[in-house]
Amino acid sequence: MKARNGDKELRDLFRNKLESAEVVPSPSVSKIIMKKLAVRRFLRFNAARFNAWYAGAIIATGTIIAVILSSNPRSDDSYKEPALTKEPDKQIINEKIREDDIITEEKGDTESKSVIGIQEEKASYPKITPDDQETVVTEQKTGPVNSLRIPDISGETIVSGRVTTRNNLKSTVVNKDSYIAASVIEGCAPLKVIFRSMIAPEDSCKWTFGDGGYSYDRNTEWLFDIEGDYRVDLDIYTADGKRNTSSVDIIVHPSPEARFEIIPENAIIPDDEIVFLNYSTNAVRYKWDFGDGTTSELFEPRHAYNKYNNYDIQLIAYSEYGCSDSLMIYNAFSGSGYFVDFPNAFIPNPNGPSGGYYSPRSDESAYVFHPVYSGVASYQLRIFSRLGILIFESNDINIGWDGYYKGALCEPGVYIYKVRGIYINGEPFTKMGDVTLLKN
Amino acid sequence: MMSDRQIIEGCARNERRAQQELYNRYSHFLLGVCLRYASDKAEAEDILQDSLLKIYFNIKDYSGTGSFIGWLRKIAVNTAITHYHKHLKFRYYVDIEDYVSAESGVSSFEEDLFTSDELFRVLNELPAGYRMVFNLYAVEGYKHKEIAKMLDIDTNTSKSQYSRAKAAIRGKLDKLRKLKSRYPSDNKETEK
Repeated sequence: MKARNGDKELRDLFRNKLESAEVVPSPSVSKIIMKKLAVRRFLRFNAARFNAWYAGAIIATGTIIAVILSSNPRSDDSYKEPALTKEPDKQIINEKIREDDIITEEKGDTESKSVIGIQEEKASYPKITPDDQETVVTEQKTGPVNSLRIPDISGETIVSGRVTTRNNLKSTVVNKDSYIAASVIEGCAPLKVIFRSMIAPEDSCKWTFGDGGYSYDRNTEWLFDIEGDYRVDLDIYTADGKRNTSSVDIIVHPSPEARFEIIPENAIIPDDEIVFLNYSTNAVRYKWDFGDGTTSELFEPRHAYNKYNNYDIQLIAYSEYGCSDSLMIYNAFSGSGYFVDFPNAFIPNPNGPSGGYYSPRSDESAYVFHPVYSGVASYQLRIFSRLGILIFESNDINIGWDGYYKGALCEPGVYIYKVRGIYINGEPFTKMGDVTLLKN
Repeated sequence: MMSDRQIIEGCARNERRAQQELYNRYSHFLLGVCLRYASDKAEAEDILQDSLLKIYFNIKDYSGTGSFIGWLRKIAVNTAITHYHKHLKFRYYVDIEDYVSAESGVSSFEEDLFTSDELFRVLNELPAGYRMVFNLYAVEGYKHKEIAKMLDIDTNTSKSQYSRAKAAIRGKLDKLRKLKSRYPSDNKETEK
């Protein structure tokens, strides 16, 4: 009740004194306000007066007109140039090449050279044999159709221009007189091959890949993931009922696999000499990179490092067909060997302080807060309460915190631990975290 | 001498004379409102400028019902709240001294003991959050629920801010009173 009265009193005091209290503003305030008022008014839209909106509109239209005037003659010039050089023939060629581009892009880098050859051939193609094409056209169909596509229609007769194109595809096509173009015919598993059928648009076809797979697509791709020799067949069903077969052999070599192990497991650098055990398969040649600038081509090399570091070790294994695989172990001597890790909760023994001695195997009931660790040379553990009071300190890694402070069990809750020390390789470490003390 | 009505109509027509008259008549009162929400006079004058600009531009919206002075005050208070929100990032701190919410024993204050200047100073020295809540609740008479909505805080925050503000104010007034009793002559000079 008393507090209520006090509250009201205080409220009344301020309300009565200040509710309509007057304070004299500085003389400059009036001027500033009037100036601001004028500026704001100018910025506000008002159709009846000249203001910022009108000024802005005038400037904007002015600049737009200026830009149009200055850019107009230029744009006219640039437009004329291509118009003059444009020719109807080239347009058709361009279209054709673009089609090819799409396919050859898929084929990857290795074919890029032959692709250029194709394009050059194509470009000169209609110029060389314009007459042949037209005769073919008239034989097959009565109306004038797109001249470049027509030769393909007759499945049997292939126009000479086509054949030269294939010769250029030598690296990719197996049989010169077949209808198949393959991106690769030999390689390491898994081998992805892009197949292209050289058949007329109205013909249909079936691919049989030799490993049980098939496809009805005109152009297709297939992934051979097991090594072996495969015969890929293409059955062509032409529009006029004829049937043609074509085939190509694909050789898939086994892939090597690079595998190795570092011995000893938790090596101490630079003291230990490291042995590399090689478990690679399907490989005949090896290349090691020890990460310190030295390399080796031995099967199982040994290596001694001069100073401690986190080395990245790489092994590249090559098969007899030149296929390769690589394995890289990053920070080979850091994460594996040395660590200190703490749990985030523990239950102290309610029966009394234990002194904190523990052995990693015996402390299954987690009565003591202690780390799991490896390769620790020196170590200091400190436990703080949430108020920042140091309640435990240990310089021996074999002594953890038993949850007692001055002989009394600590309150359940969150405590902060801070640990610092040095690993046996001389690398210092610090760690901070919190641990929850639970009640049994 | 213009009447309030003439002033309002004049301001609505952007008449320079009416605007000046409104300023002359009400700026003192409005600055008094603003000063309660500011930490010093300069800040209060900033708020006053914004409030007056709002008043000039929106005077057409004044319906004519209710007191004009109340409308002005409401605009000033709202501007102060906007100002508080805008500058919140610079003020996100609470003195640890103020935070210790010991309700000090003094509970009665004789009204005549303090001048409005001193009370202003007490308010100015408060942390911004306390000042907003205390002003809105104690002086303006809003409910905690409304304050929470205005300041975009929780109702309970408003309540606890208010009680802490009260404790802080009591402490300051106590100190002031002790000072005054020690120098009574000063007291009389400053007293109106």
